[in-house]
Amino acid sequence: MDLALRDIRRHLGKFFATIAGVGMLLAIVLVMNGIYRGNIFDGIWLIENTAADLWVVELGRGGPFNESSRMPGDAHKSVAATPGVARASPFISYAAQREVGGTSQQFTIIGYEVFGGLGGPGRLVAGRRLEAAHWEAVADTRLGLDLNSSLRLGSHAYTVVGLTRGAVDPAGNPVIYLSLPDAQEVLYQQDSHALVAARAASAKRLERAGYSSAEAAKLLPLLAGSSATVNAVLVQLAPGSETDAVKTHIERWLHFSAYTAAEERDLMLEGRLKKMSAVLGLFRSLLVVVSIVIIALIVYVLTIEKIRPIATLKLIGAPNHVIVRMILEQSLALTLGSFAVAYALMILARDRFPRTLILLPEEIAITFAVMLAGGVLASFMAIWHALRTPPSLALGG
Amino acid sequence: MHALREATLSVEAGELAALIGPSGSGKSTLLLCISLIELPSSGAIVIRGHQAWRDGRSEVDARRFRRENIGFIFQGHNLIPFLTAQENICLPMRLNGVGKQAAARRARELLGYLEVANRADVLPATLSGGERQRVAIGRALANEPPIVFADEPTAALDTERGMKVMGLLRRVAQDRRSAVIAVTHDHRMIEGFDSVYLMNDGRLARQSALTGIFR
Repeated sequence: MDLALRDIRRHLGKFFATIAGVGMLLAIVLVMNGIYRGNIFDGIWLIENTAADLWVVELGRGGPFNESSRMPGDAHKSVAATPGVARASPFISYAAQREVGGTSQQFTIIGYEVFGGLGGPGRLVAGRRLEAAHWEAVADTRLGLDLNSSLRLGSHAYTVVGLTRGAVDPAGNPVIYLSLPDAQEVLYQQDSHALVAARAASAKRLERAGYSSAEAAKLLPLLAGSSATVNAVLVQLAPGSETDAVKTHIERWLHFSAYTAAEERDLMLEGRLKKMSAVLGLFRSLLVVVSIVIIALIVYVLTIEKIRPIATLKLIGAPNHVIVRMILEQSLALTLGSFAVAYALMILARDRFPRTLILLPEEIAITFAVMLAGGVLASFMAIWHALRTPPSLALGG
Repeated sequence: MHALREATLSVEAGELAALIGPSGSGKSTLLLCISLIELPSSGAIVIRGHQAWRDGRSEVDARRFRRENIGFIFQGHNLIPFLTAQENICLPMRLNGVGKQAAARRARELLGYLEVANRADVLPATLSGGERQRVAIGRALANEPPIVFADEPTAALDTERGMKVMGLLRRVAQDRRSAVIAVTHDHRMIEGFDSVYLMNDGRLARQSALTGIFR
């Protein structure tokens, strides 16, 4: 006779309310797992999906994603001349917040050399890659743009010729690919009034330094900041070349820093993602502990409510294993029910969640095993109390 | 200091015995000893010629002894609240290793014998006090124990209902050949017992004259 199920049957409302509550808590644990993995996935997506053997950045910088890095626009030419380098292309990446599709959205613009350069979009879900030097864009579907739709950035409109799915920057924001000159123009474009004011201020400084107005006007173009800088140079090595030798050559002779794709990934994991991952890891551990404590308390309260029937069971001769089984089964039913609710909630929330959720089956299985073990542990306090209950408690009014 | 001294109680099969005495006199202790919940420091408990308790017996043995030899009727009925009337009666049988079908058959038979067959699938909370009492009696009889303990079986009942319960206990004692030992303070029912034992300061004495005991 299954006493646990019969007790649950009698308290169905209470049981379902409990598993709904604990289930929601466990859903947060599972979502935290998903965010934790999603955070890592997003953080290294661009590195993993850019077919570069080396990332060359400004000397001493951990860029281009962890730290800003500015290099001359023609840096890729000297890198390309390095022995062992098959291909070197300029790369620019920066975050932007503009109105897209009627709403203000945050995204990252990536500029790359359209004709044979590295760093362009990977697999497209619709359309084609960039084929023109100007006014074309490839956007991620998360931005809500349609193929052939028009996207205004700065003073130009760009036609969306291709769509990616899941192309994200390290913060999880969608990516827009532009040609390098277009991306530089969007980044460095200044308001004409601001430009005139800056030129006037520079001319005044020159005149105060003793130059005539005519001389200052001649010198002004030399003082203007260059808009031809890039953030990194992506390198593809020639077959058979030694990575370390190429790296050393670039660092020694070109005075740039160079990282392999694995080093670039480690920079992200150890730098920008480390604290976030630690915080998420801590939160999910705490939530697991809190869930187990809640299940323990619920099982304990359920047992205390039944203490007189338990004493009666002992008095009429029920062996201990009958009582232990009843408590354990209730605890496991609570844990299993709660986990099922949590799993269902997580599946429902996955596609609507604003950040990438990566749900690894093995991680779900581990969480399930931890909760199951926790559920069993949680029932120990109740079992201990039940086994200590004297049968004589059943006697008397 | 002994809770029980010179407490010799002998009840025959089919006999209805009352155990009376003031609070703290040792009635409950005697009941706990006979049930092997408290073990006596000396003396013997003999059921149908066999000694129930010996040194070295474990808690597991004590529970098996209770399952096989004693039926309990509690003052508050103590039905398991999440089991139906029939399941409550099945429970001691299932604990004793009786099969599901056989236990259900016997439970139905007992419910019929106690005239509550129509309440078989009802939870205790929805049974009346009298129905609960009958189901509790059915549970006590489930394993056909040689001894049935009844703790204040008529205390909360009016005279008419109390008489009915006494009639039921009498039927149980005679039909089932069980020795029924009832702890009671209910002087209205005392004449319904075959024998009355008075417990005082741990000493037990059989009363030959029933009248005037409660004066």
